[in-house]
Amino acid sequence: MLPATTVESFGLDEPDATDDEVARALRGLGDPVEIPQRLVRVLTEYMRRYTDDNGTPVFSGDSYFRSSERDREPTHAQTKLDVVDSFAVSVTLALATIGFVRVFRAQLRREDIRVEVDTLEKLASTRLTAAMVGLLRSFTVSVFDADSPLGRALVRTTNQSGLPARHVIDDLRRALRQVAAALREVTIGSGAAQVLDLENPHRLFECGWSWGIVKDAPRIDLDDPAEDARPQPDGVAEAAPYLYFTMVALDGIAALFSERTRILGLLTEEQQRLARALQLRWDLTQQYWATIASFGPGRWPLEDLPWRTTDEVENDHLSLLVSAVTVQDLESRRGSDAALDRVGQVLEELAARGRVTRRPVARDPAVTLHSPGVSFELVGSGGLGGPRLTWVASDFSPLLLKRMLQVARLVRDTDLRGRLLAQADLVWDHLVKRRLVEGAGRDLWDQPSGAFSEIDPSDDSPSWYYTERVVECLVAAANLLDTSPLRSGSLAGLASELLNEADHLFDRELLSGGGESGPALRHALQNARAALRRARQLLDERPGTAYVLASDVLRELDRLAAARQSVFEAD
Amino acid sequence: MLVFATSDKGGTGRSVTSSNVAYRRALQGSDVCYLDFDFGSPTAGTIFNVDNAARGVTSGLGLHSYMQGRVSEPVAIDIWTESDRPSLRHRPPGAGRLVLFPGDAGGSEFSIDDEAVQRCVRLLRRVDEEFELCLLDLSAGRSYATDMVLAATAAPEMRSVTARWLVFHRWTRQHIIAANGLVHGRRGIIEVGQDRGHDPRELADSIRFVRTAVVDPNSDELAGLRSSQIAWLRDCNRDLQELASARKVGRTTMLGAIPLDPVLQWREQLISDNDVYARQIANRETVDAFELLAKRLTEDAVWVSL
Repeated sequence: MLPATTVESFGLDEPDATDDEVARALRGLGDPVEIPQRLVRVLTEYMRRYTDDNGTPVFSGDSYFRSSERDREPTHAQTKLDVVDSFAVSVTLALATIGFVRVFRAQLRREDIRVEVDTLEKLASTRLTAAMVGLLRSFTVSVFDADSPLGRALVRTTNQSGLPARHVIDDLRRALRQVAAALREVTIGSGAAQVLDLENPHRLFECGWSWGIVKDAPRIDLDDPAEDARPQPDGVAEAAPYLYFTMVALDGIAALFSERTRILGLLTEEQQRLARALQLRWDLTQQYWATIASFGPGRWPLEDLPWRTTDEVENDHLSLLVSAVTVQDLESRRGSDAALDRVGQVLEELAARGRVTRRPVARDPAVTLHSPGVSFELVGSGGLGGPRLTWVASDFSPLLLKRMLQVARLVRDTDLRGRLLAQADLVWDHLVKRRLVEGAGRDLWDQPSGAFSEIDPSDDSPSWYYTERVVECLVAAANLLDTSPLRSGSLAGLASELLNEADHLFDRELLSGGGESGPALRHALQNARAALRRARQLLDERPGTAYVLASDVLRELDRLAAARQSVFEAD
Repeated sequence: MLVFATSDKGGTGRSVTSSNVAYRRALQGSDVCYLDFDFGSPTAGTIFNVDNAARGVTSGLGLHSYMQGRVSEPVAIDIWTESDRPSLRHRPPGAGRLVLFPGDAGGSEFSIDDEAVQRCVRLLRRVDEEFELCLLDLSAGRSYATDMVLAATAAPEMRSVTARWLVFHRWTRQHIIAANGLVHGRRGIIEVGQDRGHDPRELADSIRFVRTAVVDPNSDELAGLRSSQIAWLRDCNRDLQELASARKVGRTTMLGAIPLDPVLQWREQLISDNDVYARQIANRETVDAFELLAKRLTEDAVWVSL
């Protein structure tokens, strides 16, 4: 649904507007009239499947959860635990679905399809509300003493200039003053209880999303009685932010306040209220992590690879997640090219360190980033009679590519963009190698052995998790191509001067009566005139094109001048 | 089933396309008849190569005479026996009947009255019973014949007869706008039909558009064009798609598209398999498009609107 609703040429919701090329590529799904109907059916089936018998949407982690102990499988109750990844993806999917349905319905006259479409919209809207409630109940603020191990770890990460700890703590508190003050406005959902401790000058904090609904998270009251009556399960997750889930949640939530959501009016009043609450958390979390990542006068903590969390875990995947949040923040604050360049360099280095753009050495530990991936323990999940659960994130490469494309879209400097795009091409080459080559999932992902010969090939079944991440990259690439090319100032100056010379010579040629001569010369001058006019039009937007047009005219005019010269010089 | 073929402008290839569709349908095994309701210019005989009906029949037994009450039965010409074109002369094995109801030579448009409508109803009921598919070729633009068949199909005794409409147009701006006007515009098919007692929505659902002489900008045959011409063509095509969609002539209401074919460009004729395979003067794609259109005429799933 993501490309179908964000890339304009897809237009699957308007069969008359679907591009021929898109229709041809998708003919396996039917013709453009059948495709939206089939999508409605598949989506309805999906929504039904992840709704329990009482009509409450399900967000459980299920088979994505792994056990931390070799011979103990997670219990049934454990696999049913909600997970933030599901909340976040559901927000994106439900919004895309509602938007799709709104546009598609305008084309409909048949009552039976309308009924189907309305049912789907209701299901999607219910799922959206439930996902937003879930996200509000898994947000957390973790407050700790500056002297505690957590506090010391945070100070160590942020102290890149070797300053006294006392000093760093004061600076940190000052830099985060705004965030801390705004966190007091967090009134509904989880995270509110901890905020009271923030006044104490010896305390530091972290904010973001935990892996699931936080333990003791309060219920959220909803105005709609039907929605309000749905059970809101008790949380078990540790009240501490996980970088992975924070990034996933930030990505999902962003769709809630996109232009498209506003223009199409996709949210109900209640959902708007929840969206406002989420937006506050989105802003604060982004600001918090961006501040931490770029703290201090010298080297940024982000540049000190790999990133180390307050619970003393460190790896490159975490660095990538922090870069991702930083890029998001730079996007919403329209950050400077200098800052974007620094993040871009971090991404480039991560690509090399992660063996995406460099070949691995024998038994390279970096390969584990991709297969099996980085796993982290879900603290609090062990209370249900089973082993503690873990979560595995193996989406290093697509995440890297997506952020590179995002930075490339934001920068205004042509060289910088060119460099980032060259790197992005390399990452894409790496991803192409990881496509499945046979079986039902041919051309989908993920087969890490394609890029890393040390890994044994796994089976041919596609990973939807990974493929979805790659599709996100492709959408980001499509968005990048939609913008107009960057304009180089020096090139524009050069083109403008070339044009002036060409204009002058052309006028002189006209003055000498070339315009009234025989067809061959007249024709050449008409062409030159058209080229000059077009070059003037393009000068601002595409100086490079204006440049070559002007040089073509100059060459043509010089041919005439050179011919004339030999009239007198007869050499 | 009755299928009315019409177009707003002349030269759309309405007659030649619908004749070919009738021919293909007969080859597929159905009994098919073709009624020349283009009263101003009754020349369907030419397409089927029936020389003595090239400009209508001279016997005075054609559709003009029938509609105006001069004869009680219009003459019917069996193409498989009476065509002068050798390749049409024998009914191919497995093929159904292919019958032409021609107009009268020298006949012209006539105004209609209730009796003409009654006679029309009688004829339509008769051919609908006798044939699986009856193609009625109406003239271009708003005509008396269109008005008459709209009145006839609204008659209570025609309730059980399925009637569908094909509006032919070429793939150009002017034709798209004209095709929309013919159906949805003032005194268009829907407005006139409503006056005659049709339900406008049902009528609209029974109308589909057919694009003729379509040039696919991506086809290999355009290899001789310059790249800038192709770029321009592709943009034109996209522009036309937008226009068509805005004018309700878009993909959802399109039944088929017939590619531009050199044979049809130079001569209105039936394209036989011989023309495609043995003589190789016509394109396979054209015949494929005819066959697809012939099949889709009676495929109910295709006629269900969104």
